[in-house]
Amino acid sequence: MTTTTPAAPRALDGIRLGFSGLVRSEWIKLRSVRSTMWCYGLIILLTIGFGLLYSATVSESSDISVETQNSLAVQGMTLSVNFTQLIAAVLGVLVISGEYGTGMIRSTFTAAPGRLSAYFAKALVLAVTTFVVSVVSIAVTALVTAPILSGKGIDAQLGESSVLLPLLGGAVYLTLIAVLAFTFGAIVRNSAGGIASVLGLVLVVPVVLQIFGALTRADWITNLAAFTPSNAGGKIFAYVPDAAQQAQPPAGIVSLNATEGLLVLIAWVVVFGIVGALLTKRRDV
Amino acid sequence: MIEIQNLSKRYGSKLAVDGISATVRPGIVTGFLGPNGAGKSTTMRMIVGLDKPTTGSVLVNGKPYVKHADPLHEVGALLEAKAVHTGRSAYNHLLALAATHHIPKSRVHEVIEMTGLAAVAGKRVGGFSLGMGQRLGIAAALLGDPQTLILDEPVNGLDPEGVLWVRQLTRYLAGQGRTVFLSSHLMSEMAQTADHVIVLGRGRILADAPIADIIAGGTRKLVRVRTPQAQLLVDRISGPDVNVTGLDDGALEITGIGAEQIGDAAAQAGIALHELTPVGASLEEAYLELTQDDVEYRSEAAR
Repeated sequence: MTTTTPAAPRALDGIRLGFSGLVRSEWIKLRSVRSTMWCYGLIILLTIGFGLLYSATVSESSDISVETQNSLAVQGMTLSVNFTQLIAAVLGVLVISGEYGTGMIRSTFTAAPGRLSAYFAKALVLAVTTFVVSVVSIAVTALVTAPILSGKGIDAQLGESSVLLPLLGGAVYLTLIAVLAFTFGAIVRNSAGGIASVLGLVLVVPVVLQIFGALTRADWITNLAAFTPSNAGGKIFAYVPDAAQQAQPPAGIVSLNATEGLLVLIAWVVVFGIVGALLTKRRDV
Repeated sequence: MIEIQNLSKRYGSKLAVDGISATVRPGIVTGFLGPNGAGKSTTMRMIVGLDKPTTGSVLVNGKPYVKHADPLHEVGALLEAKAVHTGRSAYNHLLALAATHHIPKSRVHEVIEMTGLAAVAGKRVGGFSLGMGQRLGIAAALLGDPQTLILDEPVNGLDPEGVLWVRQLTRYLAGQGRTVFLSSHLMSEMAQTADHVIVLGRGRILADAPIADIIAGGTRKLVRVRTPQAQLLVDRISGPDVNVTGLDDGALEITGIGAEQIGDAAAQAGIALHELTPVGASLEEAYLELTQDDVEYRSEAAR
């Protein structure tokens, strides 16, 4: 009897579906598949690796301004973001498309038939985990590379907000790209399609716009390119020298500052997040 | 309790489920029979809200499934063998589902033990056999200690021991007053498990009745008999409706007379019976008759 029958009937009276439970569930799901470990492991390795590579190969300098030193240091410490964003994007898509591909999504939506709470729990867990992993890897990179750079005459003012904010911005950027990719995965519901479309938007679209902008000399195309997720988001982890030293963009050309870039990238995430949520709620699975 | 009201589902031009209404009652095992593509799985998916009905509605324990505060405690569903991420272990799969409802870890271990998965719980689901996947699906369905169980083809891929286990389990759960709704292609399996059957063909309900009535509705009842005194028995039971066919292995297949009458007749004549089996396949025949009518009706209508 003991192996073939359940425990006393209605043993679980009083259990409730709730958002905190869904967040825990998504955390268990995230940490219990290998692709997550691979992706975060690669992000950590590449972040520190590119930082070391940069600091080892950058040429020695003397008599350069504090601004330039800070700029070079920030550049080296966030160099990896250009590559790790691809991993964050792939992971963001896989987190949801993997469930559609395997049929897991039906288990997920049977447990949480309202669907949206599961969708947002998933996005939240992805965002927090990606942010923590990114911020820790960038912090480690900064601490490891600062002495090497210092030996080459590049002393970064790690305590200054003009240096700290772009370093933090690198982690924020990776987080937002992962979440943007997640919304693509939710919309496309297919790993290959989701990855292709998000990488297309992040990598290809800005280049295409840049080329056409240059060919046609149409300012509006160049300006449009400034609002793509990677160009706008790139401002979040770029070192900005004092306003006085900044080159003013030519008239008619848009140049976003870090705050504007952040807001534009957030807008991308919100818009696609809403589309993804509506489709998730409405479609049969 | 599942109350299906005028439920339809259209996929493009195909009407998968065509305005069905039925009630699946607690305390008994209700079977859901029908050929492939009849709309069984679609109906079951609509019950738990995975597919949206084109028309109609379903109430589970008095409410639409999505309105329940504790969905896994209301309904446990096995909809496909592998609604599971292949890269995750069985234990983590169940743990993640349990977490949504704050179901304690002890319950996860309980359903793992109950379904015989203890030895493979730590392994990735991608390597599971069909039968193991099925057991995991049943474990997930039982996780929330649900009042209503929906099992789509639960014995699919199970070994004989597993088939027997599912039969005992479903009967036990129904005996506790729960609602048990299971689909199967195996008519003989259904005959041994279900109390009530809903037969679906091309999206419409062909029959909704106690299993005994369905079998009684079949034109041919069959009893398999094995006896060393075959001729003597045939003489005793012969009648206008009775038809006896001898099988190669020495058994007799008798139609037109019930097992009770055959047994009584044998007892009176002092004939030893080695086997007296009302053959479960008669449900299969009743079912084939039902669905065949539907097919014939359809092809005439298409003309």
